Amino acid sequence: MKTELLAPAGNLEKAKIALLYGADAVYVGGVSFSLRARASNFTVPLLKELVEFAHKLNKKVYVTTNIVFHDEDAVGLDEYLIELDKMKVDAIICSSFLIIERAKQITNLEIHLSTQFSVTNHALADYFYDEGIKRVVLARELSINEIREVAKHTKTDLEIFIHGGMCVSYSGRCTLSNYMVTRDANRGGCAHSCRWLYNLYHNDDLISDNYDFQMSSKDLEITEYIPKLLDIGVSSLKIEGRMKSIHYIATVVLAYRMLIDDYYNNKLKDLNYYKNEIKKAENRLTSIGFLAGNTSINEQLYNYRSESPTKEFIGIVLAYLPEKKLALIEQRNYFEINDSIEVVSPNKTFNYTKVNTLLDEDMNEISVARHPLQRLYINVEFFVKPYDLIRRVK
Amino acid sequence: MNLVVRLKQLNEIKYLSQLGIDVFCFDTRYTAKKINEFDIEAIKLAKKQVSELNKKIYVLINKMIHELDLVDLENYLNDLKKIKIDGIIINDLTVYVIAKKLRMENLIIYQPGTFNTDTYSKNYFSNKNILGITLSRELTLEEIKKISEEISTLDLSLIIHGYLDMFYSKRKLISRYLEYKKITGKKLVNNYDLRLNEEIRPNDYYPILEDEFGTHIFRSKKLISIDEITDLKQTINTFFIERIFMSDQEYFDAVKLYTNKLNKSEFLDKYKDYDSGFYYRRTEKVKGESNEN
Repeated sequence: MKTELLAPAGNLEKAKIALLYGADAVYVGGVSFSLRARASNFTVPLLKELVEFAHKLNKKVYVTTNIVFHDEDAVGLDEYLIELDKMKVDAIICSSFLIIERAKQITNLEIHLSTQFSVTNHALADYFYDEGIKRVVLARELSINEIREVAKHTKTDLEIFIHGGMCVSYSGRCTLSNYMVTRDANRGGCAHSCRWLYNLYHNDDLISDNYDFQMSSKDLEITEYIPKLLDIGVSSLKIEGRMKSIHYIATVVLAYRMLIDDYYNNKLKDLNYYKNEIKKAENRLTSIGFLAGNTSINEQLYNYRSESPTKEFIGIVLAYLPEKKLALIEQRNYFEINDSIEVVSPNKTFNYTKVNTLLDEDMNEISVARHPLQRLYINVEFFVKPYDLIRRVK
Repeated sequence: MNLVVRLKQLNEIKYLSQLGIDVFCFDTRYTAKKINEFDIEAIKLAKKQVSELNKKIYVLINKMIHELDLVDLENYLNDLKKIKIDGIIINDLTVYVIAKKLRMENLIIYQPGTFNTDTYSKNYFSNKNILGITLSRELTLEEIKKISEEISTLDLSLIIHGYLDMFYSKRKLISRYLEYKKITGKKLVNNYDLRLNEEIRPNDYYPILEDEFGTHIFRSKKLISIDEITDLKQTINTFFIERIFMSDQEYFDAVKLYTNKLNKSEFLDKYKDYDSGFYYRRTEKVKGESNEN
């Protein structure tokens, strides 16, 4: 079976973008029971709309219900699970026995085990399989050799994180945020205390300089391991980032979509091609995490130096007027007349042009686009479609 | 009520028994943040001594179990089975899975730190023929009472005293930092005298330890439960007294505190940096960024 590309989405627009730009499935959090509740506006009706949209494309929607429950959190859980089941969500992602067992008892939902549980071997993966769990999201602490060994021996489907931010601790094994700022890390309140700045003391001797002891991990990016993971035959490759922008989602999804398809079609390009595509949307320092084994200094972040994305997202296409060769767009970032732009489409095409004409919604000529969400017309010689994204080329 | 202590030396058994200790917990080669590792032969020897005193032996297996640990772990559990130890405290559920295969799951005490937060989890494990579970450390007193009030076949336990850990990373965060700073000649791995201090919390020093299994960070204040213990005893049977980063004297005095041989004010006059953990502190559920799914 072909390995799935799984993308995050914080809202309906991002989810649609992710699916259109090549994700085989998206995962979203509902307004409750999810670690990213704040990152979500997915009410039940919106979830329904998304599931219908995805299923029409023959794609899937997973709903994260991954908080570590306290008794007080269970209110409304049964009703919610039944709703998810009724709307035919393709799976829920959980880490609490309460929700796993309730879902088994009262629904037919497929259940995936969240990385919050930090499964690091096949014996535990198989335990969960026998408990009725179809897929396990492995801990991010595994090397490619460990992933291969787990895959060789386990009965479960495996999902592997390939891109994005990650906990520096074993996921779910951290209460720094609980203790330091009374925000529950395992119930959606993580304050990222592991990313703060510290001084390190040996008894009373200061070892560090001016709070430069840092534990932060660089973001994960493992383009070079994708062919190996496809060969191993893991079920799903997962991108992190339900808080990310639509431009990020579209760009990263498209880059991995191209990489995966090119590998399957025996047309793999130089990996720098895909890496550069990713950099167009976000240029954070990245590393390979634990894929090569224990982490080295290269996987740690010791200062805040981070490059800007190489391309700036300026708008999304709403419609095209072929007779006038004008694209109606929604502005997302400042741009001006005469800027060079790149139009990227879900079908993997990249076209370049220049903004020669810039009009407001009432067709008045303007020279600068400075208002977020303003609807504008720009001239585009070639045909563009809704959901095409426009970037400024610096 | 069972009081469980972490043992550093075999010759402490007699003294601690006299103080009223019921269970001795031994560190193994699978123990992260260890006090002192005992090999199988030493545990075997101790078992004899402890049995004669009519007391119990637990071993602590709290590292995360990776694929390559599985075969060795199974052999090790088999060895423990032969010695007839009384309990195995685990952090990674994998140990339970292997123990079950060896038909010794009745010895397992599931102590994952952060996951035993609700009544349902307790009920789930009640049906699994294990010895017990330890409730999570970030629960309020009210939550603890609610979870424990319903009677179950499990031996419910709680960590009531000492430095509690709050972070476990596989990364060697001290070593990497020294490498980045090009600091050489300092022995900071397996060093129990390191602390972190955060920019805007000048009075809080968080102990940090890097060992062979990764990096561990602890709360800045030690937990003390002497005011709560009478209440807790109503529904909870077993209590752990943590030992890491503590002098032997302070540790023995802590044992005396819970066995009514020392009162609270005497204890707190001598020892500082204690607080009541999460007993009266509720945590917020909102706010968050990316990273977890």
